[in-house]
Amino acid sequence: MPVGVKLRELLPRGYTFTVVGIAVGVAGLVALGAMAERITRFIEGGDRFVLGQISVAGEGMGMGTGFTAGGLLSAAKIAEIAAVPGVSGVQAQVMMPLNTSTSQFLTLTQELVFGMDLSVPIPNRHYRELPVRAGRPLRAADRRVTVLGADFATSRKLGVGSSVALGGQDFTVVGVLDKTFTAPDRFALVSIDDARDLWLRRDPLLVQAFGAGSLRRNDLNTGAAVGWKDGEDPDALARRIQATVAKVNVTIPGEISRLLRQSTAFFSALLLGIGTLGLLIGGLSLSNTVTAAVFERIRDFGVKRALGATDLHLLREVLGEALGVSLSGGVAGVLLALGIGTAVDTRAIREGQQLFLFSPRLLAFAVVFSVVLGGLAAAYATLRIARLSPAEAIRRGS
Amino acid sequence: MLLRARGLSKTFTGPGGTLVPVLHGIDLEVKGGELVAVSGVSGSGKSTLLNLIGLLEPPDAGEIWLGDERVSHLGRRAQCRVRGASIGYVFQSFLLLAGLTALDNVMLAARYVGRDRADARREALGLMERLGVAHRATHHPAQLSGGEQQRVAFCRAVLNRPPLVLADEPTGNLDDEHARVILDELHALAADRGTGVMLVTHRTEASARADRVLRLDQGRLATR
Repeated sequence: MPVGVKLRELLPRGYTFTVVGIAVGVAGLVALGAMAERITRFIEGGDRFVLGQISVAGEGMGMGTGFTAGGLLSAAKIAEIAAVPGVSGVQAQVMMPLNTSTSQFLTLTQELVFGMDLSVPIPNRHYRELPVRAGRPLRAADRRVTVLGADFATSRKLGVGSSVALGGQDFTVVGVLDKTFTAPDRFALVSIDDARDLWLRRDPLLVQAFGAGSLRRNDLNTGAAVGWKDGEDPDALARRIQATVAKVNVTIPGEISRLLRQSTAFFSALLLGIGTLGLLIGGLSLSNTVTAAVFERIRDFGVKRALGATDLHLLREVLGEALGVSLSGGVAGVLLALGIGTAVDTRAIREGQQLFLFSPRLLAFAVVFSVVLGGLAAAYATLRIARLSPAEAIRRGS
Repeated sequence: MLLRARGLSKTFTGPGGTLVPVLHGIDLEVKGGELVAVSGVSGSGKSTLLNLIGLLEPPDAGEIWLGDERVSHLGRRAQCRVRGASIGYVFQSFLLLAGLTALDNVMLAARYVGRDRADARREALGLMERLGVAHRATHHPAQLSGGEQQRVAFCRAVLNRPPLVLADEPTGNLDDEHARVILDELHALAADRGTGVMLVTHRTEASARADRVLRLDQGRLATR
């Protein structure tokens, strides 16, 4: 067997600081990347939601803003919408802020009570059902029970069987949703009848309208989700509904998606900045550490050249070592970032926040990035050293 | 003739771009089995001469022949082959690799010439046994004394049985007892194996035992 590089030389002695240096750089990259992933998921989730359905509200402002905007959408209007050609289903909904003091401000942290008419299937093509992490989904006949979004439940330390007060009424938690990293994480899902009760308790004007007999209970809807038949153009259908049904506000999925992207342009720019910064900091730290580690061994290269090593021999050995060292540093950096992120998120989650999203693609990218960049940096340093004569390399390293 | 050098010259560039001539047109020859000592004051160019002959750096002018091959004009890759197979080096500061054990340092010489690993290991251990450092085979250089390190370095230099061994002040960092061991080995190399040895030394007793002494004075050679 020819004399070759031994396995233990792939992780040679004296590389502890190099591995630590790489780990710090990779940890920075992963942490910044995880924040970017978190923002991306939020934006993509919202976009996916609005592109999956046509949202219709009654004409006027009604209560709240943002998701809760719109006047009453009566049962008659919902029937009219359902009759528009191309509509596959209409689900009446009541959506309102849990805390009325925040109702005038659409915030990223707003908690919402979301009542759905589960006697019809969820029309949203991208969310046919909301996946449940624990317990069970909400059912049509449910009353005074709720299924909570992941952050809603975690921030209040609620689980299946817990009791929670929504608008002054006690509800039993029967399920907790999977984390979606977008709006439903802050939802309390209830039956539409329970949502209507909460609305009536909250808004005295509605009670007076009921007393006058001008409203029926199933007229109490803040909006409706509209689905379309296969092959139907959703934007065209939305315009058809707008043209056919009087006094409703119809969101055009394509337009609302564009508006959503415009309104989140700041976050997209932030995302780009964070990503660039992460790559720059992590990349510079990593390549600098590996290059310095190779240059520190310049004397060893001189000795090896004196013993007959060719450029190819040296390159192969250094790349072998760089692979071991940068892989160790990369994995250590990922673990370090996971540790820091988990510690920070453990605190943040008490406020219903999560700052980091360590997606598998991010972690895989970080490890591959560290190995590839480590290899390139090592190859660059080796080729620089290989230009020197053996005597010069020994002199410089001594 | 094992080694022939003709018209070797070398000039270094000093601070501020000043030129520092070190060697001027050196001619020399070394036969197989001959031990040639090179002496001279510090800065006379002894180490540079050994570096040029050992292909550790290129001369500005002149040529070097090993046997029938003009090695000074070979390409980089071919010079690597010559260094690995035909020249052994013993340095004053040992130059062992800190991350490797004593045995692995010795075997490093075999790695780049494609020798069989088992065969190289057997021979390395035999050499270390003869030099009295076999019991230190698994130790790292930092765990060895200066004398032991130089004996390990000597084993590395001769593992591939090179026809030419260059020793640059090999006893410079050793006490008399350990210096004698190394000098004895260099003499044995020349006498028993027919190896050509060039030895840069300040030790009078080393020069006295040499077959020939070359004296360098301000980069010029004077045979004594």
